[in-house]
Amino acid sequence: MSLRAAAAHRNLLYLLSLKELRTRYKKSLLGWAWSLLNPLSQMLIFSVIFLYVFKAIPPTGDPSGLKNFPLYFLAGLLPFNFFSISVAVSMGAVQGGAGLIKKVQFPHEHLVFSVIVAQFVTLLIELGVLSVAMLIGGNMVLPWLPALLPILILLALFTSGIALILSAANVFYHDVNYLWSIGSQLLFYATPIIYDPKTLDFAPLRYLANYGPTGSFVIAVRNIVYDLRLPAWDRMAYLTLVGVGTFALGVWIFGRLSPRFAEEM
Amino acid sequence: MTDLALEVRDLTKTFRMHRERANSIKHLIAGRGRNRFDEFTALRDVSFEVHEGEVFGVIGQNGSGKSTLLKCMAGILQPNKGSVTVHKRMSALLELGAGFHPELTGRENVFLNAAILGMTRRDIAARFDDIVEFSGLESFIDTPVKTYSSGMYVRLAFAVAINVDPRLLIVDEILAVGDVTFQQRCLEKFVEFRNDGRTIVLVTHDLTSVKNMCDRAIWLRHGVVTGEGDPSELVEAYTEQMLGDHDRGSDGSTRRGSGEITVERVELFTDGGTSPVKRFRTGDSITLRLHYRAERAVPRPVFAIEIEQLGGTVVTAPCTRDVGLLPELLSGTGQVDIRLKDVALLPGTFDIHTSVTDFNRQHVYDHLHLALRIDVMTGRPYESGGVMTLRPEWTIS
Repeated sequence: MSLRAAAAHRNLLYLLSLKELRTRYKKSLLGWAWSLLNPLSQMLIFSVIFLYVFKAIPPTGDPSGLKNFPLYFLAGLLPFNFFSISVAVSMGAVQGGAGLIKKVQFPHEHLVFSVIVAQFVTLLIELGVLSVAMLIGGNMVLPWLPALLPILILLALFTSGIALILSAANVFYHDVNYLWSIGSQLLFYATPIIYDPKTLDFAPLRYLANYGPTGSFVIAVRNIVYDLRLPAWDRMAYLTLVGVGTFALGVWIFGRLSPRFAEEM
Repeated sequence: MTDLALEVRDLTKTFRMHRERANSIKHLIAGRGRNRFDEFTALRDVSFEVHEGEVFGVIGQNGSGKSTLLKCMAGILQPNKGSVTVHKRMSALLELGAGFHPELTGRENVFLNAAILGMTRRDIAARFDDIVEFSGLESFIDTPVKTYSSGMYVRLAFAVAINVDPRLLIVDEILAVGDVTFQQRCLEKFVEFRNDGRTIVLVTHDLTSVKNMCDRAIWLRHGVVTGEGDPSELVEAYTEQMLGDHDRGSDGSTRRGSGEITVERVELFTDGGTSPVKRFRTGDSITLRLHYRAERAVPRPVFAIEIEQLGGTVVTAPCTRDVGLLPELLSGTGQVDIRLKDVALLPGTFDIHTSVTDFNRQHVYDHLHLALRIDVMTGRPYESGGVMTLRPEWTIS
């Protein structure tokens, strides 16, 4: 099914996203607090390890001058988590949609897009909380926030593309799902979340951290909320290319494979 | 010639039956890309047309390709060859409530389910009250559907599905859902659909509903269209084919069952008559005599007859269990008499089928299709139409 059909069913996308959001924390006591508690607990763990075990010096924001490891960490973790969780949940959503796929004709893309939309809403809430923390930490982040939006949209496009490709592949070979849990861990360390890429001595690793797609998105987000400056224009050009390109590739591959879903499931 | 609602052209669908499914990359690599499979053709060059306003039946046994055809028509499966062209706004009901989420309320699920079936938000909002009213679940609409009974669940699902307002409705089996009242409402809705000039495609193995509801039908056998045309004739041919492996009597009767006890023959007597007859008049009192033979002692057998008008309407189908007539053990030969007083059948030809089953009516000892064909001639009362008379008393004031 084409992107046009998907657009014609945007009402379905809206309702599926709403379902994602409404049912996510059903039957849990803390409910939506979990979406904040998860990154906070990760932040706590890594902060203790880095500040007290390794006695690392937190990177300094340029030009903001902010020197705060927990905030540095969160500014990288939130966009990365959005990416890796969205992809994992998308695979589950397509797999879990088997009952629907085998019985009703509808644009299967929306199973993925609705996950992205719901995770995006979560990301915005988390970034809102982070912004408050930045303000408390002395970073006047508010005037910079509008510049965040295009980066986040490109990140969502990139994430959608990867999620479409992997969730389609996962229908045929469930290994993709398991590979992703290993892959996303590796990616976590290949992305400059717990370290500053400038401190890496080994050039190939530095390049990977700096110019790998996830690293590049993380750096761009951090430029704005931690450093308080716009990302370099060439980085923005690169992210635009990666975001739009991956999205187009994902839509194309998913569109080629989805007519066979009903048979494979 | 009316407009076409649906065209199926040379539809062929094959499935790969994996002998050892390479479901993981390890298998794929270990097998060096070999992915051994057998090809299975579910549909072969199936072609037919459905005209607007028609009720079109598709019959066939399990495994004949009915479900595959249904899924191809619904756009869920992609054919290997040929095409399906849908000319009208279509809705395919393969499963009710696909996509219902247990944690969401009835209201939320109505919106979600309707969107899955392709409705816009404005359409849903406009029809929401109709949907809820049809389901009869007004007081539960804001509770999560996980608290619904299974009956409530399908009622809501059916209410959504039927309100999608298609011009072409594709239905898998007659949806026997909910209690009798609700089933009646569903049936009325189908009739309303038909009277509106909408098109219905009914895929089923319920032959009675095909005979009663359809204008035209096709018969699928091993993925090939074996017959097309008048539903009654097709059902006749289909039934014959299905019973083909069984004994055929010289009078066109067919028999199946395990045979411990059988009905040898059926005789008809009118009151006062001593020799069997084949015809009587409306209003006569008659006795049907079933001669049985039991090869060994059979515990608690249930005898049943079915009187069917030529063309498929079953007029009555009583059995001995209905009246609590349950002999503990039957063996040897004997007869079962069924006396019918003032028979209300109107003139026409009727077929009588008999069966002997176990108490649960699950195991069939003997089923004699077309045990006897009888003619009813004009008697009293006389009516110009219908199958039977309810002995009306008219007054005009």
